[in-house]
Amino acid sequence: MATDRFEIVQSSSTSRISIFIAFFIIIILFFAPWWAGRADIRLLSEIFLYLSLASLWNLLAGYCGLVSVGQQAFVGFGGYLLFALTIFAGFNPLLAIPISGIFGALISLPIAFLIFRLRGAYFAIGTWVVAEVFRLSFAQIQSLGGGSGSSLPVAIVKSIASNKAMRESLIYWMILGLTVLILVSVYLILRSRRGIALIAIRDNELASKSLGINITRSKLFVYIITSGLTTILGALIFLQKLRISPDAAFNVNDWTAFVIFIVVIGGIGTIEGPIIGVLIFFLLRETLADLGTIYLIMLGCVAIAVMIKAPKGVWGFVSSTFKIELFPLSRKLKKQIKEN
Amino acid sequence: MESKKFKKSFSRRKVLISGGAAIAAPAILSITRAYAANPKLKVGFVSPKTGPLGGFAEADDYVVGAIQKVFSSGLSNNGKTYEVEIISKDSQSNPNRAAEVASDLILRDEVDIILAQATPDTTNPVADQAEINEVPCITTNCPWQPYFFGRNGNPAKGFDYTYHFFWGLEDIIAVFTDLWGASGVAKTVGGLFPNDADGNAWGDPELGLPKPLSEMGYNLIHPDHYQPLSDDFSAQINAYKEAGCEIVTGVMIPPDFGTFWAQSAQQGFNPKVVTIGKALLFPSFVDSLGDRGNGLTSEIWWTPDHPFSSSLTGTKAKELGADYVSSTGRKWNQGLGFQHALFEVTADVIKRCSDLDDTIAIMASISSTNISTIVGKVNWSNGPVKNVSKTPLVSGQWQKGSNGLELRITNNSHAPEIPTNGTLKLL
Repeated sequence: MATDRFEIVQSSSTSRISIFIAFFIIIILFFAPWWAGRADIRLLSEIFLYLSLASLWNLLAGYCGLVSVGQQAFVGFGGYLLFALTIFAGFNPLLAIPISGIFGALISLPIAFLIFRLRGAYFAIGTWVVAEVFRLSFAQIQSLGGGSGSSLPVAIVKSIASNKAMRESLIYWMILGLTVLILVSVYLILRSRRGIALIAIRDNELASKSLGINITRSKLFVYIITSGLTTILGALIFLQKLRISPDAAFNVNDWTAFVIFIVVIGGIGTIEGPIIGVLIFFLLRETLADLGTIYLIMLGCVAIAVMIKAPKGVWGFVSSTFKIELFPLSRKLKKQIKEN
Repeated sequence: MESKKFKKSFSRRKVLISGGAAIAAPAILSITRAYAANPKLKVGFVSPKTGPLGGFAEADDYVVGAIQKVFSSGLSNNGKTYEVEIISKDSQSNPNRAAEVASDLILRDEVDIILAQATPDTTNPVADQAEINEVPCITTNCPWQPYFFGRNGNPAKGFDYTYHFFWGLEDIIAVFTDLWGASGVAKTVGGLFPNDADGNAWGDPELGLPKPLSEMGYNLIHPDHYQPLSDDFSAQINAYKEAGCEIVTGVMIPPDFGTFWAQSAQQGFNPKVVTIGKALLFPSFVDSLGDRGNGLTSEIWWTPDHPFSSSLTGTKAKELGADYVSSTGRKWNQGLGFQHALFEVTADVIKRCSDLDDTIAIMASISSTNISTIVGKVNWSNGPVKNVSKTPLVSGQWQKGSNGLELRITNNSHAPEIPTNGTLKLL
């Protein structure tokens, strides 16, 4: 009996080339302090921060089905931790940032215990409630400025490096490094056994449970990781903003609505989506933000147009039209050609 | 073959040379203005044009437009005429966005001086960015305590690059008690303080209203600080009714005061004097209260009846107000004078500066400012702390006039140089 042999492949020539290009781009970006102006460095940092937030939200919502509208809880928590650790505990900001991530991961455990009982829309509202609880709680802490907010003392910022250029470069490299780390981790998680389990849970929770997947553990794993990393991002964001107040720290517009916009426009449930989405978002913001209210109306129109014309986002449209994948996640069956 | 080619083009020497050139590039590329034929100065201006604080920026377009016209002929400094460009940015009433646009103005537009106005949510993030980036910054339209202590300012040291002019809480206490004393009502006061930057500063037991009021014999009833945008003030209203408060005071955003005032009417609480900071500044909001707006009292920082004139254009306060009303078709508001004054101070700093290419010289010029503006004297050598200069404050009442509700100055013993133009009536 002549048997056809099959093998499962993930990578393709496009994906191999794209990984090479990505590597090249990262090297160019690493040297940005030498070829870009201070304003460009600042803009790049902000783009990377939003890309990271969007990738993490995409991992939660797009792959785990955990649609959270309360990620600002962790962004704000990270910001406040940075202020508390540097002002009261005297930590160097560069040390306080990773420590804040550990706290973020720890606090996400009891939160998960509460909100994992909820499903779908109730889960979304639950996360928002948690974020509001965070906002109201931090508004009561008078030593961190209460509802008024607080500024990061200049001396603390200067303790990173006394030289302005060095300081800005260090913060930039931290943000770039973290972004690369987040993108690579998301990619590796999704390629792993656990990744397949997550995609199965997203597609049908009941069916995946009957196949023996431990749903709670899989979701918890992703939730804790995204919470910890989002907290670190929050600390980095407020290291750049220099000033924190409850309304700014736990701002649902800045840290969740724009992030959802980016992911939905780019393509939810793809690694490429947030990258495309963040480029579109910043293109719109840099060109139109001076228009005031009209800018926000236009963002809404873009979101509506994409949802009607390309429900899977810009990348979803591109990849289904041209059958390409830059980060190879899907598995394809390929007939093996025997050489007799 | 392939690998040989690759090796050749990326030889160690080539990498070192191009790398070295890249490292040196930033140093070579920076050009100073001193060599430019037409010297140009850039002034950044951050203000909440949209969002809940939009009322504070109502006069922005008018003021910036008028000032741009004055600046278009250039400002002279050390015999040279400098072209001055104003780059105006919207904070969207969001402190995150304020920090973003400030850093954009500083890093991308490379402004020489940055200005900001309206509430700690705008002035503080902008000033923080200016301080760390070492760019001269002048702000106004925010009481000085939330500006200075809200930024963790140390009175012994102060800030190096950021200066502010406005009044402070001690002035509020003086003008409010002046008004209440003249009204002759019982000294039991209900306090409404939100948990936000202004509310915490005003309600602070040591630095805010409570301590001096009790020293002056007032009995201040103030339940816990409420969350902004609260929809129920029954607890406060009940407490005031029980204590027999005849005066209500506080610092509120307009929607909160609207809620409180409507619920007071529903629940039969009728104080005789209501003196609220911030909420009652703008005619558009007070008009929306209808007849219930008549008789409310507030602090007054500027009116067209103030006896001052612009150091930049020579315009009198009265003329500025009249021109604003005729060219925009709106009622004048208190922000108008301060926005104008902010540019007056800036122009004065530019004209007197010994070297506009040197940030230290610009800072020296700012700290030695001593001019009479359309809102009063600005002089940083005699302020309560290093970076703050105070402008005069009076108090007054919204009264029915020929043009609907009009703001009348009723009490001026704290700043007698500003004449009154009305007498206080009880509610």
